[in-house]
Amino acid sequence: MNLQRISILAGRVMRQVLRDRRTVALIVLAPIIVLSLGTILFRSDPPVIPIGVVNEDQGVSFPSGVSINLGERITDDLAAGDQLQVIALDESEVENLLRDGTVQAAVFFPSDFTTSFLTDHHVALNLSLEGSDPTRSMMISTYLTQTAMKTLAGLAGTGVAMPAASQNDEGETVLPVSLNTNYLYGGEQFDTMDYIAPVYIALLGMFFVFLLACVAFLRERSQGTIERLAATPATRTEIVLGYMLGLGLFGVIQVAVILFFTVWVIGIHYLGSLALLLLIIAIMAIVGVNLGILASAFARTEFQVLQFIPLVVFPQVLLGGTFWAVADMPAFLQPFAYLMPLYYANVALRDVMLKGWGLAEIWPNLAILAGFGILLVILSILMMQREVV
Amino acid sequence: MTSELVLETAGLHKDFGRIHAVDGIDLSIKSGEIYGLIGPNGSGKTTLIRLCLGLLQPTKGSIQLLGKDIPNKAILSNVGYMTQASALYEELTIRENIAFFARMCGSLEQDWIDEAITLVDLPDRAHSLVRTLSGGMRQRTSLACALAHRPRLLMLDEPTVGVDPQLRAIFWSYFRRLADSGVTLIISSHVMDEAERCDRLGFIRQGKVLAEGTSDDLRQRKGSHTLEEAFLRYVSDGDAGGSI
Repeated sequence: MNLQRISILAGRVMRQVLRDRRTVALIVLAPIIVLSLGTILFRSDPPVIPIGVVNEDQGVSFPSGVSINLGERITDDLAAGDQLQVIALDESEVENLLRDGTVQAAVFFPSDFTTSFLTDHHVALNLSLEGSDPTRSMMISTYLTQTAMKTLAGLAGTGVAMPAASQNDEGETVLPVSLNTNYLYGGEQFDTMDYIAPVYIALLGMFFVFLLACVAFLRERSQGTIERLAATPATRTEIVLGYMLGLGLFGVIQVAVILFFTVWVIGIHYLGSLALLLLIIAIMAIVGVNLGILASAFARTEFQVLQFIPLVVFPQVLLGGTFWAVADMPAFLQPFAYLMPLYYANVALRDVMLKGWGLAEIWPNLAILAGFGILLVILSILMMQREVV
Repeated sequence: MTSELVLETAGLHKDFGRIHAVDGIDLSIKSGEIYGLIGPNGSGKTTLIRLCLGLLQPTKGSIQLLGKDIPNKAILSNVGYMTQASALYEELTIRENIAFFARMCGSLEQDWIDEAITLVDLPDRAHSLVRTLSGGMRQRTSLACALAHRPRLLMLDEPTVGVDPQLRAIFWSYFRRLADSGVTLIISSHVMDEAERCDRLGFIRQGKVLAEGTSDDLRQRKGSHTLEEAFLRYVSDGDAGGSI
């Protein structure tokens, strides 16, 4: 073993890495960008959730002159916290506003709400949830129960006693507050995986064909076949469309396999039309192929293709509404989210899989996604101007 | 009308930054001849070929290929092109590569593909992946890719590099047969004994044509015994003429 030879070799290896400036920049910048983004998102203030309240409670007036309107008190306590934005609604509006996302939940206090509490010593809250995000549903239910408990505790001194937790016949503790929940979409059987699965499908549909196209095009350049291809009657448009068709088909087949696996083996809930899902995925595959062709123009080696993964994938996952709803992100990050094709695929896939929406409802997102696809096709074709006249 | 012109360039220039890769070339190449572009590495032969195929945009000048102004995508189906380094799809077989390029040029003739494979002496390897081939076999496959669609014009950029002498002789006899059947061949080379086999030659240096003619012409004009000697004389006379 010769130390000198080892150090000469180490020197050569370092020189090679340093000569690849992009790699050096990425070694430093990529982790910083990804970590900063993650930090901003994890540490951002918890979102303020808009919920509607329909208060028809008549309240009760005691001969002593004290009057209690429990519905009003709970509403005030809900509004007092900073987690919810309480919007007073009319019962007829509830379903539409839940559907268009103005409110994510609605609480209904019937006219005999206070009266029935006084007779039953138990509060039954009627809660309507939008329901497509199980984590969010859980959060709202818990917060509502806690607030109602607090309100009841606040009744002390009004002459109306707070009922203590009691036990039922089976010895389980029964809280004086219970929820009657109904869901617009999904339901109690929906879990976080149901919410995340559409994202996996969208991401995988794009990601593998992206890599495939990027490497295939890079090879086309490095083995010189692009030059030979350029010397045939094939035009740039034909070449890009040929790649799109060939690789896009693989993307769709792959995602179809993932889709069937998630639905039938993992047991993901899925409501909408299968054809519509495949359409979304096909557009996502087109986006992936063309993103790959574009990216290949900026890579000289297959190693540099690998470096695109953090650049292309992480921002899409972090900003594309995968784990954080875009509306909950800090305002300065939101415009970036709307630049991510994955965001539109996410929303469209969730609308189809969780809400069972059809083309009539999801077409705006689909159109934007298709717009990204077309834009990327045009950019890829322009990018090839260097090789093919 | 005597023999028609297959390729005609006029005042052709191509600059890469400050380098004049092609510096005023006028060529007239007739149907059915074998024209040799002879010159050292870096003299502009490949750039010239790429310009003629429309793969590069000329800085100045015009090109007519098979009667059409270049760039013209459609005319390329009548042209066969062999790049200097073999350009093949590694994951495909020899036959698949040849069939792909032939089809892209609009030819669906299976017989022509088999014939091309036979010509380059690879029938028993037709279904081998390119990945497994030696350099010489790649070069031969590359040639077959250029001619399986039976083009009227073949542009061969250093076609015999890495080909053994025996096969090289076979290549040249085939080139001659093609020329006799009316195919035009433009062949670049830096090897002088290949230049001897061409009908006409252009000596290329620093993007210019130093001299043009048959090999006998070129030798006699400088009173040289060999083409190599003639080339060197043209170079030194050109330099002398250029300075003062």
